Amino acid sequence: MPRPTRKSASGGASTPPSSLSSSPPSRPSYPAISLRSSSPSSSSSGGKEMPNSNVLSARTSLLNVLTRPNHSTPSTNIISSENNSSDEDTIYSDQSTLSGSSYASSIINGSIVDKQHLSSEDIARVYENYLEKPFVYTKSTIKHSEFGHCNNPNWRWTSQWNPDEPIHPEEEPHPPYFTLLTTYISYILLIVIGHMRDFFGKRFRPAEYAHLMPQNGYAALNSDFDSFYTRRLKQRLEDCFARPVTGVAGRTIVCYDRSSNDENKTFTLTGTTTRALNVSSYNYLGFASSTGGCADAVEACIKKYGVSGAGPRHDASTLDLHVQTENLVARFVGQESAMVVSMGYATNSTTIPALVGKGCLVISDEFNHASIRFGVRLSGASLRSFKHNDVNDLERILRDVISQGQPRTHRPWKKILLIVEGLYSMEGSLVNLPLLIELKRKYKFYLYVDEAHSIGAMGPNGRGVCDYFGVDPREVDILMGTFTKSFGAAGGYVAGSKAIMDRLRLRSHATCYAESVSPVLLTQIISSMGSIMGVAPPLATPAEEDKSDSLSIVSRPQAYGPAPSYILPAWMKLPLNLLNGTEGRERLRRLAFNSRYLSSGLRKLGFIVYGHRDSPIIPLLIYNPGKMPWFSQLMLDRLGPDKTPVVVVVVAYPATPLITSRVRFCLSASHTKNDIDLILRACDEVGDLLGMKYGKQTMNVEEIISSAEELVASSKFD
Amino acid sequence: MSAVQFHSPTMIATARSASTEIPAPLIPLLSSLTALIYTIENLFNRLPGSPIILRYIKSSYQDDPWRSVLELFLLAFALRTLFKGRTRGEGEGKSFIKLTEKEIDELVEDFNPLPLADEPTPADSMTLETVPTIYGPNGIKVKTSPNGKTLLNLATPNWCGFVENDKMKEVAIETLKRYGVGTCGPSGFYGTIDIHQKAEADIASFLGTEASIIYSQAFALVSSAIPAFAKRGDIIVADRGVNFGIHKGLQISRSNIKWYAHGDMKDLERVLQNVERERKRKGGKLTKTFIVAEGIFENDGMILDLPKVIELKKKYKYRLILDECQSFGMMGAHGRGITEHFGVPASEVDMILGSMANGLATGGGFCAGSQVVCQHQRINSSASVFSASLPAMLATCASAAIDILKSQPQLMNSLQVNIQVFRQQLSKLEPFIPTTSASGENGLMPPPNGIPNKDALISIPSHANSGLIHIFLLNPPDNLEDEEIILQQIVDEVQQSSNVLITRSRRLRSQEIFEPEPSLKISISGFMSKKDVEAAGKGLRHAIVKVCGSEF
Repeated sequence: MPRPTRKSASGGASTPPSSLSSSPPSRPSYPAISLRSSSPSSSSSGGKEMPNSNVLSARTSLLNVLTRPNHSTPSTNIISSENNSSDEDTIYSDQSTLSGSSYASSIINGSIVDKQHLSSEDIARVYENYLEKPFVYTKSTIKHSEFGHCNNPNWRWTSQWNPDEPIHPEEEPHPPYFTLLTTYISYILLIVIGHMRDFFGKRFRPAEYAHLMPQNGYAALNSDFDSFYTRRLKQRLEDCFARPVTGVAGRTIVCYDRSSNDENKTFTLTGTTTRALNVSSYNYLGFASSTGGCADAVEACIKKYGVSGAGPRHDASTLDLHVQTENLVARFVGQESAMVVSMGYATNSTTIPALVGKGCLVISDEFNHASIRFGVRLSGASLRSFKHNDVNDLERILRDVISQGQPRTHRPWKKILLIVEGLYSMEGSLVNLPLLIELKRKYKFYLYVDEAHSIGAMGPNGRGVCDYFGVDPREVDILMGTFTKSFGAAGGYVAGSKAIMDRLRLRSHATCYAESVSPVLLTQIISSMGSIMGVAPPLATPAEEDKSDSLSIVSRPQAYGPAPSYILPAWMKLPLNLLNGTEGRERLRRLAFNSRYLSSGLRKLGFIVYGHRDSPIIPLLIYNPGKMPWFSQLMLDRLGPDKTPVVVVVVAYPATPLITSRVRFCLSASHTKNDIDLILRACDEVGDLLGMKYGKQTMNVEEIISSAEELVASSKFD
Repeated sequence: MSAVQFHSPTMIATARSASTEIPAPLIPLLSSLTALIYTIENLFNRLPGSPIILRYIKSSYQDDPWRSVLELFLLAFALRTLFKGRTRGEGEGKSFIKLTEKEIDELVEDFNPLPLADEPTPADSMTLETVPTIYGPNGIKVKTSPNGKTLLNLATPNWCGFVENDKMKEVAIETLKRYGVGTCGPSGFYGTIDIHQKAEADIASFLGTEASIIYSQAFALVSSAIPAFAKRGDIIVADRGVNFGIHKGLQISRSNIKWYAHGDMKDLERVLQNVERERKRKGGKLTKTFIVAEGIFENDGMILDLPKVIELKKKYKYRLILDECQSFGMMGAHGRGITEHFGVPASEVDMILGSMANGLATGGGFCAGSQVVCQHQRINSSASVFSASLPAMLATCASAAIDILKSQPQLMNSLQVNIQVFRQQLSKLEPFIPTTSASGENGLMPPPNGIPNKDALISIPSHANSGLIHIFLLNPPDNLEDEEIILQQIVDEVQQSSNVLITRSRRLRSQEIFEPEPSLKISISGFMSKKDVEAAGKGLRHAIVKVCGSEF
């Protein structure tokens, strides 16, 4: 194909790609963000002007994406025979060319469109097959709808701690008092109306309240107090949750359309489906896929092993695959030994009781996951919790508990275990690992880091928060994580020293009584993890790869070396791009770019966004409960001219504090930059309509889109 | 503000005039106090609405001074609650000792915690070393070393041979091509796939319940579904022989737990009567009451007398939580579990917990019951809400396995035949040689009659129809560790001499509420040939005689 290849793009030593890929200290310092073609009117467009301004903004947006200044010069020669045969739709390139800023041109129906005459119909036509057909043909065997094809090497970033950037923002952004007030009033209204409905409902329609009232001498199965929130508050938002879907939860997802005639008590499927851009699934590295190298390995596994893990590990259900996976996981996270468990939730809830018990103390972050709290309750250990990510509060508690000892008896604690998460799934905030390690040396507690969300998603090598911060993983006693999120499988692992793992193998509930991990999942884990690590020997160094690249698997630090090929099962045949680690590295960098881009972009748009900029979880604050279903619905039934639906997750109490209900974006390496642009536009239009830009908007959406690379490279937090 | 107040001439004048009666050193203190009060008052007056508050306080004090005191007290209490620590044990409790920073530093210096992992005992090491690793696929014939000999696998639950079912492999590959592997999300957030809903509907219709809900692990299901309903103050009556997962569920529920003797229906009734009596005596309000038991008990293979339990539950108004993780896919003409075995409609049981990993050889678990019961768990059961949903192919394979169970009842027949053949071989070592055929009336354990056997070495409490067979030593040595060594010798011996892989039950010693006796654990599969099973039974018998016979 006569297209400029990646090699030519990165050939010049001075082009941004190679300099971007170098380690952070030598990151190029970009000049202050330059605003091109700023149109001040669109940033302050109120709700009334919506339809017009939307068309306008979408038009300018397309111009930015599609028609860059020198679009008339066919430098990207994309009308090849292959493209003609593939489809007659709009084909435009997101390829970078040597000319740098001009990396796109637009051809609609074969003719170059004059940018003055791009109507919303034209835009709609361009986006008609947006989710399923890539704009540019690539050789990838993975479907575009599952893993977007995005080749521009400018749109990559390395997830690595930059000591100049604060780990936590100085202070949490606050909403206007008016918003807080209306939020509280909303909840009070909901509660009052709910109680009134309960009061009258129980008297006039007892049949509907049967399960809440004693009958035939049986006590009520559910207490109406306990279920009040579910019935009276959550049910109003029910359509935002548990939407049935089909197919792969990759870059896009197919939702069944449904409707309710009884106030969301039951839903009926309308029989139609909607394919939508998916920013809801935990698919950080885009390994949720029905095609590609990993899927082929899984198919081979099904033929050989079947699907069942059958009984508990200790009862002759330990397969060679389990041992191989455990060895690989240990190497991946940089620990001595590891153990896999068939469910992520159960990994915490069955491991913690095996580590601590009576006379031990667990200190836990207040926002730790439910499975950790469940595990601590099972263990019988005492529990203290500290303010989220507040190291000073933690130190105060540590001094308190060590000096006071156990309550009443004042005996010293047998062990103190500090449990934190690497990346908090509702906050998008990172743990301050370097400081915790310092505290650990001083106060001699044991450290348990739950990397459910950070493993695979953070760090230049994808090895989680230790990798991100450059901390030796063996400084952490227990590293726990799941395979659901970054590896497209299911289950979890714990890793640590061999002595600790042996104790866990003996004492963990899971090894004795819970089913073992299915071989299918093990294969998915091995193949995806192996492709992030690269396999050596045979170390298939990509011929065209730049040797000076610090992220090449040849030049990685010893702790995060490639997987030795003998660890992988002999029957597993992986394609070259997985074996040599290029594919995995691409994914890591795409995810890092996407995360930083969306997070920065939303902040610039004036939304209140929590969390770290490198976090692939981006919570956007909604506050008013009434806006939650609207946000979810408006992202699905888009107003903008591109009409591409987006599915989002809205989260409210009890997963978050009562007033800070939020929408949570989970980004993925499978998203292309165009996808992120689309999300930004969608958020912009909904944010204006619902009045959700609680902060100060400093750029309009098209400015943000046109300066994506600068935003990502900027080290300023907001 | 305060500075201005302080230097106002009137203020100083007041202080001077007062100096006649008040000792001199107090004067600056008093004047600054007065200044402070003035400042506060001034600030207060500037607050919007402050006159209203002032008027209110004044009038309420005039009308009812006690009320003001009470209000002050409430305010203090509210402030105290507001500033109190979040967790228990925080701050200045009764036993709190105030220490200086230096003392704390010394204590921190001296703090010497136990190592996170204790030294493994010899028994621990043996346990770890004796866990077999299977090379290649699991199934009825396995290898425990890369080039070792092929063993008959009596250690993995595989009642109908679903572990190596070709139809299910086909379904799995089809699913892979449509859905990929993981679901990448909890069921609440786009993790509910259509095939989950289909599998739930399939399970519900197979069992004959209103609905069902799938979990991604059976162990987590059991320990999470119980506390989703049973809360603090509720009453749970549980069999003493229930499995570890249930124990954990009971522990989390914080309910009031009453145990009844394992398998003893009279004792169950006695406990139920006691609870009833106590409730009447206290005249307390109606609380939720549950009976928790297993269909086939994981710890010994005994069966629950379901008809009797149903009768008692109805009589005393209890809800029944029945753990069928072992019996689902093993008991009954089509593998519907002990409800089918006893001919009791599954809808009579309030919650049936089943394992798809054991019964259907896929993964995960389910809870079947009424619509209300299942819907409640979708939002209130921790393991359902906070965990990723079951991988797609495990759900479709479960649906496929149910179809096979429905259409091929002969699978269950051959399982029963194999169980009979196996038990026949071992019956020669049991305390009583049964005079009649093994199965008693109503499928329950036959009463221990028959000819006493003086060569007896083992006892098998497991039900005659149970594919899960636990073998206990009749005359065990005094401590558990020695007993486990003997059992391990039997396991090794039978593997060496007869090429049969069995396992001894692995326990979490010191974490169990009631320490179960060590036993050998056998899982029979209907997929094995009758000849193999017979040979395995014979081999096991010889091994037991060889290891134990010499000692007694």
